[in-house]
Amino acid sequence: MTTFEHCVRCTLCVENCPVFKVNPAFPGPKQAGPDAQRFRLDGERSVDDWVKLCCQCQRCQVACPYGVNVSEIILKAQLKYSHEHMSPFTAHLFANTYHLGKLASLVAPVTNAVTSSGAARKVMGVLGLATNLPMPEYRFLTLNRGRRRKGKRRSSRKVVFFHGCYLGFNRPDIGRGIRDLLAGLGCRVVIPKQTCCGLPALGNGDLEIAKKFARKNARVLVDYIDRGYQVVYACTSCGLTLAHDYPEVLELPEGRKIAENTYNVHEVILDLLENDAADVEFGEVNRNIAYHIPCHLKALGIGYPAAGVLEKIPGLKTTVLDDNCCGLAGSYGFKKKNQQTAEKLGVAAASAIKALEPDALISDCGACRMQLGHYTGLPALDPSEIIIASLEKGASKKSKGKRRIP
Amino acid sequence: MSAYEYDAVVIGGGVSGIMASLTLASGGFKTALISRGDPVCCLSTGCIDVFSHSDEPLGGIRALLPDHPYSLVGEKGIVDALCFFLEIMDEAGLPYEGDPGRNRKILTPIGSTKNTCLVPQTMAHADMSPGEYLHVISFQGIKDFFPSYITSRHRNSTYSVYDAGVPTTLGIAARFDDASFLDAFITWLRGLEIPHDRVALPAVLGTIDPASVMEKISQAIGRKIFEIPTLPPSIPGLRLFRAMKRVMQKRGIHLYWGKDVTSVERQGRTVEAVTLATTGRAKRVQGRVFVLATGSFVSGGLFAGRESVRESVFDLPVTVPGERKDWFNTDFFSGGHGIERAGVRVDRAFRPVESMIDNLFACGSILAECEIMSLQCGHGLAIATGVAAAKSCAQELS
Ligand SMILES: Cc1cc2nc3c(=O)[nH]c(=O)nc-3n(C[C@H](O)[C@H](O)[C@H](O)COP(=O)(O)OP(=O)(O)OC[C@H]3O[C@@H](n4cnc5c(N)ncnc54)[C@H](O)[C@@H]3O)c2cc1C
Ligand code: SF4
Ligand code: SF4
Repeated sequence: MTTFEHCVRCTLCVENCPVFKVNPAFPGPKQAGPDAQRFRLDGERSVDDWVKLCCQCQRCQVACPYGVNVSEIILKAQLKYSHEHMSPFTAHLFANTYHLGKLASLVAPVTNAVTSSGAARKVMGVLGLATNLPMPEYRFLTLNRGRRRKGKRRSSRKVVFFHGCYLGFNRPDIGRGIRDLLAGLGCRVVIPKQTCCGLPALGNGDLEIAKKFARKNARVLVDYIDRGYQVVYACTSCGLTLAHDYPEVLELPEGRKIAENTYNVHEVILDLLENDAADVEFGEVNRNIAYHIPCHLKALGIGYPAAGVLEKIPGLKTTVLDDNCCGLAGSYGFKKKNQQTAEKLGVAAASAIKALEPDALISDCGACRMQLGHYTGLPALDPSEIIIASLEKGASKKSKGKRRIP
Repeated sequence: MSAYEYDAVVIGGGVSGIMASLTLASGGFKTALISRGDPVCCLSTGCIDVFSHSDEPLGGIRALLPDHPYSLVGEKGIVDALCFFLEIMDEAGLPYEGDPGRNRKILTPIGSTKNTCLVPQTMAHADMSPGEYLHVISFQGIKDFFPSYITSRHRNSTYSVYDAGVPTTLGIAARFDDASFLDAFITWLRGLEIPHDRVALPAVLGTIDPASVMEKISQAIGRKIFEIPTLPPSIPGLRLFRAMKRVMQKRGIHLYWGKDVTSVERQGRTVEAVTLATTGRAKRVQGRVFVLATGSFVSGGLFAGRESVRESVFDLPVTVPGERKDWFNTDFFSGGHGIERAGVRVDRAFRPVESMIDNLFACGSILAECEIMSLQCGHGLAIATGVAAAKSCAQELS
């Protein structure tokens, strides 16, 4: 494993840091990571409060040609700092997005009315929450309440779908679409009982809550892995947490096993199309789409598998953009102290998208879609929504009513 | 999961690997590019040195020994490759200027001039005639840029300092992307009523479209403007890399970024796939031909041990000039260090010699005998050999 000692001070990480670019209070990944690490001692109280300004996009780590685990060093320094200092109310709130989501979706119409009301927004301001973005809406019919199994029982392809909080509580319709898409391509799909991946807790400095969530999920997922299932995720931040943080940061004993058996949903779809020769036809979709790559998809290092699927759709023009962080970074941008950073980055990412004059944007991450939908004014979709639209068109062309796909 | 099979898989995302993938994609081949991290290009001036050691680049190249990579490409191949690069940059919206047959000068932050060949539009006016007047703009608190170094070397020059609110080159460049910041800067600059012929600034005129920023300023004050490259983090280097990447994405090249190629699958004399250490689990990438463009020591394509130099992906034979004691020279900048000649030796088709692999090609600074530091031929050599290696790949594929 490469450590801070392998840093040659080339500054390539600095060139890629979105926060450093717009917030002079943050000294950048080289200083916050490997440089400061030389002075961080166990048992000595952290004084580097700016370390919390890092949004954990991991762009620094992706850029470093020497394999220095820059953002992981910073994350650990953030956790150490939070552990030693009382964290504010907002941090606890966001650390617990899962319980918050569960509660909010039970009383969905009330939640949505309250969070969008003027008075609530003032209260949020006092609590240290930024208010220029609409708060995400909650749905009553969450993924936990829909159909939990789908697809041929005997299929040799078995997947267990880790949908995470955003698709679970806020966009269960997208989650159900993905479930049906996989089943239509010949997979056996299971949506198990699951809880938050733990990333919001990590991002808000709460290692213990993160571990609690992770252990719960690990038990469920490992049970399926042992029975020949692959874990699939659609939210790339959940994916990165399963594949990286479970073994490396949370140090779960089952972490390695989970990481090795976890796949992006589009990796699975591509494989079904290329190697299992799933019998489907892509219908024409005449659209010009900007594909905003979420930072955490980049950090996974698996390339951009959804782009590989979208290439197969006739008539579709997709332009990949991977140089910008949307600025929201989960709950980061909802905090008042990060509001300016989030806004500047959001505006920059939105202008790169608008320069392409697309009719919609897509992104694998719900937070990116919220932020960039807001700053571009464009429809912000999940890649699966385009794929499904194309397959539905293809299926109806192929034979009317013979076989509905997916 | 085996996933995709590509026609060509390029390993290394520097200038040579990028040019190789663009050449292959232009030929209609399904291409993937894998890179462990960002290339040294992002630390460079962004200017393309073809052979800056002599005033006349092609003349210098003609005098090289036959085993220098440039000699393997040949003069026509070099010029064609550089023209292809110019086309790519036009398409990317970061136009470059220059003539492959002639070197030009840029100004450095210490006030000296430096030979180079192709430059971004924002440095095109740096080639000043003697006696011309120059006004330098600096920024409050900016590191490693001291205008007095420049004014002390140029008789007819003066300087002023602007407060951009941030001291870093990246921070200032990001502000120049914003129209209201640019307007305020222009208003200030107008107020100075500069009488000089030209105005120079450190290279911070925006991260995205510096040519338009320059044009706006130039129009407003009626003077020629140019940028002076700074020490890393280097904005012109970053712009060059990102612009090339934009074209790669437009051409449908699949990028796998931020992870190493850790192992290679071979079947007899053929490489069938490489394995990428992605987060969590290894990923196989299959291809029909492979291009090695992992750079030299700085990027880790070559690794120097106590006794020998190793090539880090395929463990190819590496040419080393003599014993370890002959690799060095006490003066760092003197040039002619033996270690500069170390690398992978290739034949005329850019296949590594004695590799026992038929579908592998190599290009860029990993090649033996390049002597990039002393000849000052970094990006130029990367462009020429990247295109040449890709052409051999294309022949192998069809
Ligand atoms: C500080 C500096 C400034 C320079 N300035 C200039 C200049 O102004 N003008 C000029 O013309 N030249 C300049 N040069 C020289 C020039 O930058 C290089 O010679 C040229 O760009 C090399 O390109 P390359 O493609 O061969 O390799 P590199 O740019 O070194 O790229 C190699 C890539 O391969 C990747 N890689 C390595 N190993 C692996 C692996 N196992 N798996 C996957 N990926 C891997 C690396 O991460 C890297 O991205 C400069 C060089 C330096 C060091
Ligand atoms: S990119 Fe890596 S080696 Fe370079 S300064 Fe950053 S951490 Fe250090
Ligand atoms: S993780 Fe992102 S915000 Fe944090 S230091 Fe790295 S690049 Fe900057």
